[in-house]
Amino acid sequence: MKKTTYLLMAVISALFVLSWILKAGSLSGETDNYVIQGFLITFSAFLTLSVLSFLYADNPLYKFAEHLFVGVSAAFWMCMGFWTTIVQNLIPRLSDGLSSFFEVPPQPGDYNFFFFIPVILGILLLMRLSPKGGWISRWPLAFIIGTTAGLNFVRYLRSDFIKQISNTFVPLLGTEWQGIGHFFSNLDLSASGQLVTMAANWVIFLGVFCGLIYFYFSKEHKGAFGAASKVGIWVLMLTFGASFGYTVMGRISLLVGRITFLFRDWLEIIS
Amino acid sequence: MVYKLTLTLLTFLLIAPVVSAQETVAASVEATVGDPPMIDSSLIPAPPSDIKAVDTDNDHGHSITVTWELSADDGSGMNNVLSYEVFRWVPFLMDELDTLRVELARVAAEIDSVGRLTGELKDERAVIWAAIDDMADQMPEAHRMYPEGGEWRLLGKVASGVATYDDTGGKDRKVSDFIPDFSDLYFRVEAVTSDSAIRAASGVAGPVQSYGQWFNTGRTPVFIAFMFFGIMTVFFVIKARRGAELYVRPLAGIEAVDDAIGRATEMGRPILYVLGLGTAADVATIASFTILGRVAKRVAEYQTELIVPTYDPIVMSVAQEVVKSSFSDAGRPEDYNEDIVYFVTQLQFAYVAAVNGTMLRELPATNVYMGKFFAESLLLAETGALAGSIQIAGTDEIAQIPFFIVACDFTLIGEELYAASAYLGREPVLLGSLKAQDYAKAAMILLAIVGVVAAQFEWNWFIELFHVVD
Amino acid sequence: MKRQIPLMLVLVFGMFLIFQYFIPHETSEKAYEFLLDWITIIGIFAMALAIWSLFRVTVAKVRTRKENWGYSIFTLVGLFSMMIFGWTAPNGEGWGWYFIFVLSVLMAIGMLVQTMSVKSGRGLWAGLMFVFLIIAVLIGIFDNAWSFHFMSAEPLENPMFRSFFDFVLMPILATTFSLLAFFIASAAYRAFRARNLLATLLLVSALIVMLRFNPYLTPIFGDYMARTSNWLMNVPNLAAQRAIVMGVGLGIVATALKVILGIERGYMGKG
Repeated sequence: MKKTTYLLMAVISALFVLSWILKAGSLSGETDNYVIQGFLITFSAFLTLSVLSFLYADNPLYKFAEHLFVGVSAAFWMCMGFWTTIVQNLIPRLSDGLSSFFEVPPQPGDYNFFFFIPVILGILLLMRLSPKGGWISRWPLAFIIGTTAGLNFVRYLRSDFIKQISNTFVPLLGTEWQGIGHFFSNLDLSASGQLVTMAANWVIFLGVFCGLIYFYFSKEHKGAFGAASKVGIWVLMLTFGASFGYTVMGRISLLVGRITFLFRDWLEIIS
Repeated sequence: MVYKLTLTLLTFLLIAPVVSAQETVAASVEATVGDPPMIDSSLIPAPPSDIKAVDTDNDHGHSITVTWELSADDGSGMNNVLSYEVFRWVPFLMDELDTLRVELARVAAEIDSVGRLTGELKDERAVIWAAIDDMADQMPEAHRMYPEGGEWRLLGKVASGVATYDDTGGKDRKVSDFIPDFSDLYFRVEAVTSDSAIRAASGVAGPVQSYGQWFNTGRTPVFIAFMFFGIMTVFFVIKARRGAELYVRPLAGIEAVDDAIGRATEMGRPILYVLGLGTAADVATIASFTILGRVAKRVAEYQTELIVPTYDPIVMSVAQEVVKSSFSDAGRPEDYNEDIVYFVTQLQFAYVAAVNGTMLRELPATNVYMGKFFAESLLLAETGALAGSIQIAGTDEIAQIPFFIVACDFTLIGEELYAASAYLGREPVLLGSLKAQDYAKAAMILLAIVGVVAAQFEWNWFIELFHVVD
Repeated sequence: MKRQIPLMLVLVFGMFLIFQYFIPHETSEKAYEFLLDWITIIGIFAMALAIWSLFRVTVAKVRTRKENWGYSIFTLVGLFSMMIFGWTAPNGEGWGWYFIFVLSVLMAIGMLVQTMSVKSGRGLWAGLMFVFLIIAVLIGIFDNAWSFHFMSAEPLENPMFRSFFDFVLMPILATTFSLLAFFIASAAYRAFRARNLLATLLLVSALIVMLRFNPYLTPIFGDYMARTSNWLMNVPNLAAQRAIVMGVGLGIVATALKVILGIERGYMGKG
């Protein structure tokens, strides 16, 4: 490592300790564990700044935070999974004996012995670790993929196919169409008028139409077909732009939240 | 023997007080309903007529739908009907069952408070369970005794103007809303006025039995779509197998994949493949596996390095399987190593932090993002762009597509991700299914056009064809 | 055989789930509920595989002294300390030798990794590992201030588990999330260099939505910005969303069907 790196590390460590002392001092009246609390808040701020430093460039502080984050979060999920799924959901349904052993109230049901099947499948999955028995771990994977494929098949056939088709069923001339003569003699150009509603209905319908044409794979996109497909991608791009702009504004508020933590909870500059 | 004896004793001990209490209640009910004091008979509304009770359609049983003709004094005539009360004839055996349930709840509470199941409590529970099952099995018999050994009970009320009531109960005999299947049930409806003593009863509907159906007719449209889709797919797959030429239009994002692998080889830098945050339950992830397989095969042929950090344990297992098979298909099983596909963590932003770090340190020539992505899409794609990698993305998450479009060189939009597997493999079978997909799209457009016309001219029958029961 | 059985499983379970949707009968409902629970349970077994993979890759980095290997130590520290916290809890107010225990377990793991890494002098490291292990075991047996829990979920209340969540996981998580605000700025910049018609369309509609409430532009455009942005969100956006949803739905349905029928086997490594 270079000399400047050492120097920087020393400065950061010194600042860390200084912040710890100051923070602990300011907390000393409020809580008994002010030394530990002071450390935790300082450490938390240190991690926040480490992650923010990534904006400048990849650096040792970010690497430290990132690696720590990965380890802690993986273990966190494992513990939560163990306690919430295995101990609280699986064990109570497996057997009364196991429930007694794990000190959880059993959940009786008529066919609880069926829960041994996923346990067996889970053990088959663990066979991956053995160099010879790896192939048998495909069975539980096949089970999961088959089940969820079937599930998704009907779910999307209903929600994205049939429901979306019926959603396009909008009267293009509006619900109050009384003939072309009536329409022109009562022409209304206001935003809530018939003309505007009608135009919106047409744009939506044609937008869906052209959008679907754009996703047509097995026909060459030229001629009228190509034109429709081109309009389709334009509509898609307009939408992506709008959604992009919408999200940009939303994300700014996240940053505001983090800056508030630094200035209020740690530095106590704002209240 | 001892077991049966205990059972009988317990049942007797539990039931005796209840039955006597019931008799008092029944007597008091009769006193109020049967002998109304001082009623002006001219105010009694016309009774609901034509009462019918049928098994509720498209369900798992345990439910009866009761319908009737409104009273002549509901909405017209004297117009004094305020509501309808629906009654079912319930055998007293049902109350005995209730007592057992109370007893079961007590034992369950005791188990909870002890925190575990002791031998004693377990035996006690088993006795009650057996008694409940025994009693529930007697339900059809008890209902056959109508009108002996039971009484009319109020189920619920509906407002005036409503002429239907679903008596829906549970299937669990251990819960109090249990309605036995295959038992003769009897129903009655009373029109009630603002003075609850002034009422008029319909005739009795029944016997009717509830039972579960084997086909939900409310979901017929989905079934038709399923058949249409299935037949189309099989048809085009067979056609493609016979060697029919199928055209597919070029997709830039797909063609870029092969180029990108070549580029990585030339530069001697790795390829990073991100499967997204989806689980193996997401079809987008399954589509991504196919693309990964293709990429891995090429990588093995070119002997380039591949990095696949994963988010979900099962996705990791499948991806390892995919990459391993691809390496042996490419004739290089010895180059495969279990650490090509590895697990990072199952916390969204921890995963992002780690993958971002990998991008900046390993400097992959190409980053491929295929699958389900959420807020992390932008963090990944921007970091990759800053690192100077060629980026190819594909997702069906509408909200994330814009970020990929902005920061990646090629983006597969929505359905293109699912078409990618057919493109990459160039196998006739997969191309055939793509054709089926296109025909389904054409059908969608056609139906939409007809539907728009139908909506204009109010052909409601056509719109009703698309109604699916949830 | 190795491929046939998994394909059969996919077909059987996939078809079952499809037909199940049309069968309202009790038996079919029950089977459906069981299958969904099974998937969750198998997932927990997969978690063990995943943690093993993380551990292996991290240790491999340390062993081979790959670039930046030093940071991998923090992953191991985070992983194992969080795991210890997730399965232990203090019995009362005091902590006793708890932290010495955690430290010696971590040291023992470190020594194990070191033993695996070095080419010569393994005996020394292995010896040290045993020393730390013995210290940990002795504390584990004789210290009554805290205890192991594998049965009742008390460790989830362990103050250390909580603190790691509040002061390590949360700050990094929230800050990484807030990085989005900065990244979106650079993404917006990237969008500004619109290269073609499509990118320009995206940019224009993004700008309209982003600047819709901008007070400086109101005198120039009046409320036209807000109205155009509203129109974009309600009309073309609706059309494009619908077209995409329909296309995606078809893609999902077709892929699921191909998987079930065994036409697409990419997930088993056969493209």
